[in-house]
Amino acid sequence: MGTEPLLQVRGLTRRYGDTPVFADVDFDLAAGEVLALVGESGVGKSTLLNCLAGLDRPDSGTVRLDGLSVTDLSERDSAALRRDRLGFVFQAFHVLPQLSVLDNVALPLRLQRRGTLAEMHARAGELLTAVGLGALGARRPRELSGGQLQRVAIARALVHRPRLLLADEPTGNLDPTTAEQVLALLVAQAHEHGAACLLVTHSEHAAARADRVLRLTPTGLVAG
Amino acid sequence: MSSLAALLWRARWRQQPLQLAVTVLVVALGVALAYAVQLINGSALAEFGQAVRSVNGQPDAVLRGAASTGFDEQAFVRLAQRGEVLQASPVLELDTLAVDAQGRRVGMRVLGLDALRVWALAPDLLPRPAAGENRLASLDPQAVFLNPAARLALGRPQADGRPLALQQGDRLQDFRDAGDVAAAGPPLVVMDLAAAQAGFDRLGRLSRVDLRLAAGAVPQQLLEGLGNGLRLARPDEATERASQLSLSYRVNLTVLALVALFTGGFLVYSVQSLSVARQVPQLALLGVLGLDARGRRRLVLAEAAGLGVIGSVAGLLLGALLAQLALSRLGADLGSGQLGSGSRVLGEAPRLQWHAGTALLYGALGLLAACAGAWWPARTAERLLPAQALKGLGLGQVHRPSRWRGPVLVVLGIALAWLPPWHGLPLAAYASIAALLLGGLATIPALLQAVLARLPEVRAPVLHLALSRAREARHEAAASIAGVVASLALAVALTVMVGSFRASVTAWLDQLLPADLYVRSSRQASDAVWLPAALPATAAALPGVVRVQGQRVLSLPLDPLRPAPTLIVRPLPADVAAALPLVGALQKGDGRWPDAYASEALASLYGAVPGRPFTLTLPDGRRQTVWIAGLWRDYARQHGALMLAEADWLTLGGSTALNDLAIWLAPGTAPADIEQALRQHAGPQAALEFAASGEIRTQSLAIFDRSFAVTRWLQAVAIGIGLVGLASSLSGQVLARRKEFGTLQHLGLTRAQLRRLVVGEAVVWTGLGTLLGIALGLAVATVLIRVVNPQSFHWTMDMHVPLGALATLAAAVLLLAALTAAWSGRLAASRQLALSVKEET
Repeated sequence: MGTEPLLQVRGLTRRYGDTPVFADVDFDLAAGEVLALVGESGVGKSTLLNCLAGLDRPDSGTVRLDGLSVTDLSERDSAALRRDRLGFVFQAFHVLPQLSVLDNVALPLRLQRRGTLAEMHARAGELLTAVGLGALGARRPRELSGGQLQRVAIARALVHRPRLLLADEPTGNLDPTTAEQVLALLVAQAHEHGAACLLVTHSEHAAARADRVLRLTPTGLVAG
Repeated sequence: MSSLAALLWRARWRQQPLQLAVTVLVVALGVALAYAVQLINGSALAEFGQAVRSVNGQPDAVLRGAASTGFDEQAFVRLAQRGEVLQASPVLELDTLAVDAQGRRVGMRVLGLDALRVWALAPDLLPRPAAGENRLASLDPQAVFLNPAARLALGRPQADGRPLALQQGDRLQDFRDAGDVAAAGPPLVVMDLAAAQAGFDRLGRLSRVDLRLAAGAVPQQLLEGLGNGLRLARPDEATERASQLSLSYRVNLTVLALVALFTGGFLVYSVQSLSVARQVPQLALLGVLGLDARGRRRLVLAEAAGLGVIGSVAGLLLGALLAQLALSRLGADLGSGQLGSGSRVLGEAPRLQWHAGTALLYGALGLLAACAGAWWPARTAERLLPAQALKGLGLGQVHRPSRWRGPVLVVLGIALAWLPPWHGLPLAAYASIAALLLGGLATIPALLQAVLARLPEVRAPVLHLALSRAREARHEAAASIAGVVASLALAVALTVMVGSFRASVTAWLDQLLPADLYVRSSRQASDAVWLPAALPATAAALPGVVRVQGQRVLSLPLDPLRPAPTLIVRPLPADVAAALPLVGALQKGDGRWPDAYASEALASLYGAVPGRPFTLTLPDGRRQTVWIAGLWRDYARQHGALMLAEADWLTLGGSTALNDLAIWLAPGTAPADIEQALRQHAGPQAALEFAASGEIRTQSLAIFDRSFAVTRWLQAVAIGIGLVGLASSLSGQVLARRKEFGTLQHLGLTRAQLRRLVVGEAVVWTGLGTLLGIALGLAVATVLIRVVNPQSFHWTMDMHVPLGALATLAAAVLLLAALTAAWSGRLAASRQLALSVKEET
């Protein structure tokens, strides 16, 4: 079709000292695509995500997002990349306890400093409604269940319309029923917002939800 | 349990050695300061007591007179004939000046005694003639015998028969340096009793008679038939007087030293609070595995107790070292003069007197401070809900102190300030200060909530996050900044108190030193030394002299167990308020008795209040009633002073001799010229000290500043401890919030923004804490000025708030807090934290 992939990874290698984590990772991710990345525990899936997000420097290889070389960015530009183009969902939710649910969701918009507070809160409210938590904006995170917290995290990850969503074991701390619901929500929202999604998981069931599955091994990626 | 505590403690030392070491150091510092002050005080009093016993011997009773000029020696004659008196030794005591090897006049105590009798009761006072002297030199009226302190003070290493000049009134008398006495203590010259009586115009007079009584004798019966104006004194009266003399000074110094320990307790609170917060998962796991709530509490307290024990032991050793250094460098009264010249044998440092009980007491104080600081964190650990904590939902239902605790403590503090002293000590006032501080600190969370809730929502992300956290974690804020607030409050209180005191002393000096030049006979021996009779007239006749005014200063013994107040006699103008720094309104008498003016100390100690008569004993032993017409402020004589008009004094038959002369000069007249002329006129026999009023002011304020130098040092130590607590707390928080900071990096905060976030949170907390610290400091200063000082030292002062100094102090604390936070925030911005969001712990 001629359009460049949203995310291009070539020859990505990372080691800690003499210990290799992964080597020669190559893959592309198209806009709107959901890609599941599976692999054994400790194979380096989270490390790969950190390299893609500019939080960790690979030892060799390149990462290009929207034509921008992530591996060449300064610390400030890397932070700007995460602010503007990336969304994160973590296994442990990582919702800030000192902010209300609404403020947590609106936090990426504050970091971008675009629009008024009212506009930010309105957009955050939309996302909360989309994930089924429209009435809980004023609550504190400590009042919510695990499943609700992960929905908040998903809303926060999408509020600023990121190009790429990075989800690291998003259902790892949830019971099977809630995990299923959250996964479905994550995939649906990603599709709705036109964001590509890279889903790291060791759950085969979760991987089955994706458009494509790749398996990370110490020597690189293979089809899952 | 103990093995579990030891296991966890070893792990903690491996993980946070610096934090724990700082906590131990702070406890040690607090214990060291308090213990050092106690050792110095105890050693000083013990040394003084030993010196007194050496000089006074070990009599069963001592006969003394009420008048400062002594009593008729016939009383001794009658006593010596009583069957129940086994031995009686008559003594004449007086203070005068001696001329040293360089021709300078040095204060000296003279004892005239009967060498044939003194050996039995005070063997250290027995004169020992030098080689080459007659064996009976002790009976020679020209011979004097010096103790080691006198030899050192006068620069006479050994008795060599050379003349020693002693001041008598306005002339010098030569005696022969004939030998030594072994008595320890202050400089002492011993001579034959009759020679002292004749030489110092005390014919037929004695100061005391030391008595050895037969078994079963009733001392009070000895007074029968001896006449009025005599009493039997306890042999340890002098030691008790010295103890009373310095009691307030020692207590206040001890309280100041305890400030460091008090602040250290807050540091322990900060460290332990954060330790508990960080160890929530471990404590929750232990709870699930079977360690009950009380066990968790004991675990936290055991850790604090361990720190307290190590800190206390180190503190005791350090305190002993500090005390030894202070005694050898500054003397037992730390240079304050509070124990008089008798507190130190010149050239020898007082020996450090150590007692196991005292050491244990101060060690226990350090342990108590550590455990008290850890009490609330221990209760938090006790109350955490393990199940909720393991899910990462924090401590669960955390018990928060009642919001009324702070206001109740503040009200209690105010109420305590109204209570009177206990045995002359302002203990209720100190309790008031503690209650005010604790109450103020307890209001930190409510204050943060009240102020931050009123702030509008801000758009800037870092500021928004800082304010949100400051609001949400206000109880954590209390733990973090408690040390800074407490130490700042104490620093503000001391700054305001010292500033107010200095301003009041300066105003007092301005009013009491209106003349340009002052001449004085002696500061120490006013009963035996005075100015030449012709000096005032001579001075008045000199060119450039506009006016002269004389003053007589005498001791006024009112209570044998207290240092004697001072009687000051001088001409008083009709407008007394112009001459004296009066406190309150005048209440002149109806003429029945002469008007007199009491100092605040005299009113407080002896009830000499305005509008009432007051009976005193004149130096010649007569009882005289005066009318207290007014109260005046006196910072020079802590034991009281009474001002009497010269005309009234002369009417009462008082002596015309003068001790002080104030001289007003015409513009352009050099004080040095007047001094030279007067010295020439008076001759070398006269004891004259000259000082220009500016010189007296400068010296007085220099002494004042030196006396309070130690408080400035203590302020710096206290603030330093508070900031160490803040740094420790912030560093701990950064580590505890590493996943939060990692998440923020994922969301796009730069490292610079993360550092600003940590600094911003600290500045918000510390900013409000600074305001609270200043408010608390002013409240504490009010108690110090209005209650502690009057109750301790019996003087008042006007409150003066040095706004510039307080603003500088506040700015410095804020700046240091920001720098401390910036240093702690380095870790928040590290790359490692960004990667820590995946960590299981």
